[in-house]
Amino acid sequence: MSDTFASLARALGTAFYESSGEPWPDDVFEGWAQRVFAYQFETNPVYAAYVGKRGVTPSQLAHWSEIPWVPASAFKAVPLVSGDSSRVQRVFRTSGTTGAGRRGEHHVLDLNLYKHSLVPNMRRHLYSGWPGGPDGEGPILPILALAPAPAQAPKSSLSFMLGVALEVLSGGEGGFFVTRDGVIDSVGLTAALVGATALGTPILLAGTAFAFVHWIEWLKEQSGGFNLPPGSLIMETGGFKGRSRVLKRPAFYSALSEAHSVPFEAIVNEYGMTELLSQFYDGPVAATSGMALEARRHVPPPWVRTRVLDPNTLSALPMGEPGLLCHYDLANAGSVMAVLTEDMGVAVDDGFRVLGRVQGAETRGCSLAMDDLLSGVPS
Amino acid sequence: MRTTFDACLLPPSSIESPTAESALAWETVDLSESLAVRYPVWSGDAAERLLKALREEGTRLADVPVRDVVAGVGRVADRFLDSSDPIRSRAIDLLVPTAGISKEMASEVLTGMARDWTAERLDELLQRELPDPGVLDGFSQLDEGRRVRASGPPLTFHVGAGTVPGVSVTSMVRALLVKSAVLFKPGLGDVVLPVLFAETLAEEAPELADAMAVTYWPGGSSPLEDLALERAGAVVAYGGDEAIRSLRARTPVTARFIAYHHRLSVGLVGRGALTAARASGVARMAARAVSMFDQRGCVSPHAIYVEEGGAVGPGEWAALLASAMADLEAELPGGYVTASEASAVHQARGSAELREAAGSGVRVFRGEESFWTVILEDQLGFTPSPLNRVVSVFPAPDLCDVVGSLRGVGRYLQTVVVEGTEDRLPQLAEALRRAGATRITSFEKAPWPPPWWRHDGASVFAGLIRWIDLEEIDP
Repeated sequence: MSDTFASLARALGTAFYESSGEPWPDDVFEGWAQRVFAYQFETNPVYAAYVGKRGVTPSQLAHWSEIPWVPASAFKAVPLVSGDSSRVQRVFRTSGTTGAGRRGEHHVLDLNLYKHSLVPNMRRHLYSGWPGGPDGEGPILPILALAPAPAQAPKSSLSFMLGVALEVLSGGEGGFFVTRDGVIDSVGLTAALVGATALGTPILLAGTAFAFVHWIEWLKEQSGGFNLPPGSLIMETGGFKGRSRVLKRPAFYSALSEAHSVPFEAIVNEYGMTELLSQFYDGPVAATSGMALEARRHVPPPWVRTRVLDPNTLSALPMGEPGLLCHYDLANAGSVMAVLTEDMGVAVDDGFRVLGRVQGAETRGCSLAMDDLLSGVPS
Repeated sequence: MRTTFDACLLPPSSIESPTAESALAWETVDLSESLAVRYPVWSGDAAERLLKALREEGTRLADVPVRDVVAGVGRVADRFLDSSDPIRSRAIDLLVPTAGISKEMASEVLTGMARDWTAERLDELLQRELPDPGVLDGFSQLDEGRRVRASGPPLTFHVGAGTVPGVSVTSMVRALLVKSAVLFKPGLGDVVLPVLFAETLAEEAPELADAMAVTYWPGGSSPLEDLALERAGAVVAYGGDEAIRSLRARTPVTARFIAYHHRLSVGLVGRGALTAARASGVARMAARAVSMFDQRGCVSPHAIYVEEGGAVGPGEWAALLASAMADLEAELPGGYVTASEASAVHQARGSAELREAAGSGVRVFRGEESFWTVILEDQLGFTPSPLNRVVSVFPAPDLCDVVGSLRGVGRYLQTVVVEGTEDRLPQLAEALRRAGATRITSFEKAPWPPPWWRHDGASVFAGLIRWIDLEEIDP
């Protein structure tokens, strides 16, 4: 047995913290991936059996891309823990849209490893200053979160992440403006934004796209708006899956931009999911060809590699061809590192472009969403 | 090279033929590498003219005897069933890229569908549904105190789902039987058969074809849609909840609205069918029922409940089913699978394989290059299938316990296959009635309901005809 979880997590956390954010050389990622896979194969009997059925063993693995993925929905089916499950520190749950279907669960053995993944990545993409912002090291942006506080939503990985950001990256400045029931504290958030504007302090306004839509609507009704200090950023995440109110991205960004007087370039999408302990940003740091929406790409941190797979054959696709995104995330050492998503995307030079949830042009077949069907069913 | 199929066939009497002076603008949508579909864009004026012409034809159609309608449609059916008729091979060739099914499946589906349009089947339908089909032609004394007449509206508007090719034609035929003119808007996956049907009808029975217009447009996008909803005496809609909701909301209260929303089906296999002699035959029929239409039909089973305690256990039967699914993949290969459909199958399979790896009783049988999948579950429940031949097998201590698992599905439940229940059938049928089922049958019959099938529980002509009672009047 090569690694205990504690030693592996410590080594990974250090590597994450010490990385510059630039991609690791292939052999460095390869070494880590093989080490994590070997560890998961040894300590996660369910995953090992699944891998075994595919005829893969760590000793025969020639390349990290051969590591068997699990589908994201597997997090709904079985607890995926690589290590001692009695030591699970937190179970994060995926957000359900109707609350009726079964939710995914990410059993996290070490919240510290999650922090070691999210902090340097967030620092790089959101806290290191941007072309319109103050010079130097980058500002300590207070974070105003359109999400419930971690104590209110202990099962939300997003709330956890924003809580860590507030503590570690925002110097404890900021707050949470959504109740545990999802109600926006519009008055509180208004006061905080007015305060920041008066002081001229740039802020990071972060939350789910869905909450932002409600917030913008409320502002419109109040004929309100803000003139946020230069250097302020907006981070939106989560998309609109399964929600009744859907805004196309350009319209959504225009509304965000107008309501807060921030340029488009200051609005960043975070692409993340409960099933992964690393996130992807498409902000200025990632922009190699401007910040036009159609040119944006999400850039993985060095400890994640993403492949784009042909939806039919599941073989890797060349750059530019749309397929299913499959992520290999070393921060998932305590669960399963390779996760096949239901998101379509295309590979580009240094990352990928998300095209959205897979969907057909016109429904073929009497297919019913699980949530439609199960609403009201005692499980 | 990409060929273009015109998803539009207008009655010759209507001035809106593509070559006419007032020709409509056309749009094209690419369906595959090899095929594009072209459809006209309707202006309000053109739409008004078409509907007026159709209503007039519908009024004229009222005078055509029902036996002539049966005969005319029957001649078209015979041609689609005749393997030497070029219309049949053309239909099959076009079904492959439009419906996304294999050639073998296209042939099977065409035969199964066209069988229901033959004169013999239509007669059978009329005899079953009407005390005397003559009531469609004139008043008839059927009982004491009155003479009765059945009359369809001058115009019915049909909106197809594009799910299973051919369903649309059956819908149009039923309207013609009650002497209604038809405007049909097919789903994109089902543009071929209605157009070819109307085309062949124009050759075989022009007086009927004059009362039929088929034209595709993307749902919700055409002035013809709004006008047709206003003008039609009955609206027949197939589709998902959203589509049905939108059409229903725009249909005037004075028009009849007949809706077929998405449904699903399940199978029940009792100990009586789990003998060494019967088990594999039932599995073969089950594989066919699941795989037909690549599971896109409302009659396609999503889950099969297999009773414990038979000579062949649920696990063993699941293996038989898997082997039959593999065989059937060779006989009737699966069709084109979209990215979202493929993704749904990968997610479902992978999740099930992890549950299998977790050492529960779950087992996964699957094709390697193809999508068929049998998931043997370890406890009673229900999982909707992601389609494309993915079926769950649930072991059941007793089939009577299964009904509880279907409680939440009731709103969507349609066909329930029952095999090997012997003398428990009456009791089970009552329980299934309470669960919401509208059809109880065998795996063999499941994909092909009889012509007099009460689709989703409604009488075939109930929504289409208006009864007129002529009471005895003292002189």
